[in-house]
Amino acid sequence: MKDYQLGEFEEIVLLTVAILNGDAYGVSIKKEIEDRLERNVSVGALQSALRRMEEKDYLSSKFGDATAKRGGKRKRYFEITNMGKQALAYTKDTRNQLWNAIPDVVLKFSWL
Amino acid sequence: MALSQPPKLANRLLKVFCKPQYLEDIQGDLEEEFYEKVELTSGPLSPLLWYWWQIIKLFRSGIIRQFKPIDSTQKEINMFKNYFQIGLRNLWKYKLGTIINVLGLSTGIAAFVLIALFIRDELSYDQHHEKSNQIYRLTVKNFNVDGSMSRQWAFASAGHAERFKSDFPEVAKAVRFYPWAFPDVYVDGRKFQSEQVVFADSDVFDIFTLPFLQGSPQTAFNTEQSLVLTRTSAIRLFGNDWIKEDIIGRRVTLERSGMKAPFTISGVMEDMPEHQHFHFEYLAPIRFIEQVFGESAMDNVTGNYNWLTYLLLQEGANPKDVENQKDSFFDKYVGQYSNGTDAKDYYGFELQPLTSIHLHSDLEGEIETNGSIQQVYIFGIVGLLLLIVACINYMNLATSHFSRRMKEVGVRKVLGAMRSTLVKQFLTESFLVNIIAFPFAILFIELALPYLNDFMNKDISLNILTDWDILCALAGLLLMVAVFSGLYPSLFLSKIDLTRALKGESAINSNKWNFRNWLVTFQYAVTIALIFSLAVIEGQLYFIRNSDPGYKKEQIVNVRLTRNIKSLDAFKNELLNHPNIIKAAYASRIPTGRLADSWGASYQDGDSTVSVDFRLPFIWTDEDFLETFEIELIAGENFTASQDMTTDSVGYYIINRTGAKALGYNNPREVVGKKLSYGPYNDVTFKSGRILGVAEDFHFESLHTSIAPMLMLKGGTPRRISLKISGDQVQKSLTHIESVWNQFDPENPVSYAFLDEQFDNQYQSEMRLSTMIKFFTGIAIMIGCLGLIGMVGFIIETRSKEIGIRKVLGASSMSIAATIGNRFVILIGIASLVALPIAFYLISGWLNEFVYRTDISIFMIFIPSLSVLAITVLSVGFQTVKASLVNPSEILKDE
Repeated sequence: MKDYQLGEFEEIVLLTVAILNGDAYGVSIKKEIEDRLERNVSVGALQSALRRMEEKDYLSSKFGDATAKRGGKRKRYFEITNMGKQALAYTKDTRNQLWNAIPDVVLKFSWL
Repeated sequence: MALSQPPKLANRLLKVFCKPQYLEDIQGDLEEEFYEKVELTSGPLSPLLWYWWQIIKLFRSGIIRQFKPIDSTQKEINMFKNYFQIGLRNLWKYKLGTIINVLGLSTGIAAFVLIALFIRDELSYDQHHEKSNQIYRLTVKNFNVDGSMSRQWAFASAGHAERFKSDFPEVAKAVRFYPWAFPDVYVDGRKFQSEQVVFADSDVFDIFTLPFLQGSPQTAFNTEQSLVLTRTSAIRLFGNDWIKEDIIGRRVTLERSGMKAPFTISGVMEDMPEHQHFHFEYLAPIRFIEQVFGESAMDNVTGNYNWLTYLLLQEGANPKDVENQKDSFFDKYVGQYSNGTDAKDYYGFELQPLTSIHLHSDLEGEIETNGSIQQVYIFGIVGLLLLIVACINYMNLATSHFSRRMKEVGVRKVLGAMRSTLVKQFLTESFLVNIIAFPFAILFIELALPYLNDFMNKDISLNILTDWDILCALAGLLLMVAVFSGLYPSLFLSKIDLTRALKGESAINSNKWNFRNWLVTFQYAVTIALIFSLAVIEGQLYFIRNSDPGYKKEQIVNVRLTRNIKSLDAFKNELLNHPNIIKAAYASRIPTGRLADSWGASYQDGDSTVSVDFRLPFIWTDEDFLETFEIELIAGENFTASQDMTTDSVGYYIINRTGAKALGYNNPREVVGKKLSYGPYNDVTFKSGRILGVAEDFHFESLHTSIAPMLMLKGGTPRRISLKISGDQVQKSLTHIESVWNQFDPENPVSYAFLDEQFDNQYQSEMRLSTMIKFFTGIAIMIGCLGLIGMVGFIIETRSKEIGIRKVLGASSMSIAATIGNRFVILIGIASLVALPIAFYLISGWLNEFVYRTDISIFMIFIPSLSVLAITVLSVGFQTVKASLVNPSEILKDE
């Protein structure tokens, strides 16, 4: 089986792209992450993660139409690829496996 | 509002580093958010900061693009590999051209570097002393009554140094050197004859930088009878192992004229370096001499110029301030003479900077022969010209073979080569040729250096590996020569028109008056100027050799006397005993020497005494002097054997014709019998005498100076005996002289010299110059010829079809040669017009140093142009005839 490697931030970005489903471009992804996770995201970090995952074929991208709003510059919309979906699934699976492997005792909260 | 716009500078920065394919959307995203933030926040500052911060954070891998320069450097390197390869192939393919190029460049460079080394050596004199900028030599000027300067002496009087130090605050230290006429040195019973012991003040070690091998400058002159050696003299006295034996404290004895004194070795210095204008092997404290002479003898501030004196001025002191105080100095120490004149009017000082002595000073009694700044200039100009000529040569040859490269250039242009790439290519080739030429140049230098050193009496070496300066200079020179010589060819070759080049048309008009012609003209001009200078110098030397000095210089042998020869008459008679020795005469100085001794004089004109207001130097002679040298006695009579000024205490004089005239007697007969007071012979000390005779003028000194008034005195202490020998069996005469010598002075070897050789030696520097110019002219002609061959080859190459057609139409080889060659006549004409006046001006300056000189004749003016023309005709003729012998069908068959 192929080894899918995703960093923590990469995973979040990938999930967010999936959430936004067709409306994922730089600003919207950033806002979504900032809203949901309440953390600040820099354009640099986001962009480099996006491009990295594009290189890995987890994401594909295409230009949208030009709008007057951003100085006539086009948006780049990102979409999750099949490979990206597999990577997400793989990550989830491995997490689940790990969760399942934890003995119940450990997870009982101590005050109980 | 401008502040609500995203910062332009930040955007520009982003554009620089961001991958271009990402730029648009990232910038869009940034701006979108920026505008949102501007609306949300009150002030514009925080969005701006945010924007910048985001841009900076974008500076990470994945976003940053690959930078282009890395690509282009790689490309350039690849192209250079190609240039290099093509260059090497071309050099290999045209071996003859390459050899000519390399030869021309390497000789030019070698000549230039040799001259540069020579000049560097000349300029480095006395620079090694730490305080060289504050050290001055005290020189003394003597003035005539009319205020004109009569002589300037390199030496000062004994009393100067001390007084300068105490009277002038500007003078920090002062040293006198006094050479005590070569005493013999005894070490453990072994005798070393006539060693050059010099006595000096103890300031010497504070003024000059003299490193010690043993002992120290502080203790060197602790006692009055200390002796400091140099490495060389230590080896001489104590052998090669002196450094192992502790020679400090060893006793030696100095002896001169029967006077003996014990001395103790107190130190050993390093040998005085080559680049110093004086070299002493022994130093001893001058206090010893003061004891010998007595204090009073050390007081005089006028005359007795035997004390080489150096002053160390305070930092920042102006030597002029010292010179300007000479009036008060002489008023204080001499004052007024009995005849009412002031001493200050007769004397003056000049403080010579130490570092300028070697090249700029030529005074009476220089301690060693100095260099000359004029020679430095002449050689510098010649060296530079030779280098330029060599570069021009390369330019000519490189452009002359352009037709070979035309198609290559055309194809390169079609394939997209820009002019700059072609320029780079041809520059690479010139670098290649230079890189090949340099080792040869260094080889030539190494081969020539021993001769130069021998010839110039120098010790120059070229240590490329150890001397960092030379290495850097050579690298710089390589770069300069390569660029200078390669620039024109590369510009010329890259300019070639594309379509013409590919058509194979030799359409570049070689008839045009282009830059190359100027280059050739320059080469011609240099060669013509050099030949012209050579002709004038040789002419002057010929003039000197064949001019009548007024005495007979052939077959005269001069023997230097020593103190051991006591009975002069017996010695002379013994020498004359041999049939081959015809005449013998004693003299203190002989012609070809200098008239250095002079006393004050006055003469009786009727009843009044007139003091002589010109310099009237003298020599001691005997009654055979005039006859031996075959100097004509034009009035009065010669000395008689019995007359002797010393024993008789009476003056006996013979004056020369110029002297008689200077006294106011145009008819020499009238001066005979006039009463003359001369020096101590003034009726107070001794009896003043009468002028016995008048001798015809003769050149006692060299032809650089005009014949001056002079006196011959009878008697005194002679220093030489001049022997007239018969023309045949010279060797036998010399053997006889030697055997007689050994009877009278068995201790010293006989030392003799032929007068005609001494005569020639007066013009040594001129002969040296002549040889050097001959050598450099040879190089210039050689390089010029190479260039010429290249140039003619170029013309023939471009006009081969024309030659072919001319031949078909019936032209002879000669007429073809004439059409090709006529332009060179024009070039030579122009070159002569430019070069001759300049060379004439420069060489006149040199010639004017001689009072007696040859005229620059029409002959000398035409020789250079004609010889250059002859060389040209030969090389043009040979090549064109060769070219016109080719069957025209060979040339005309294509097209």
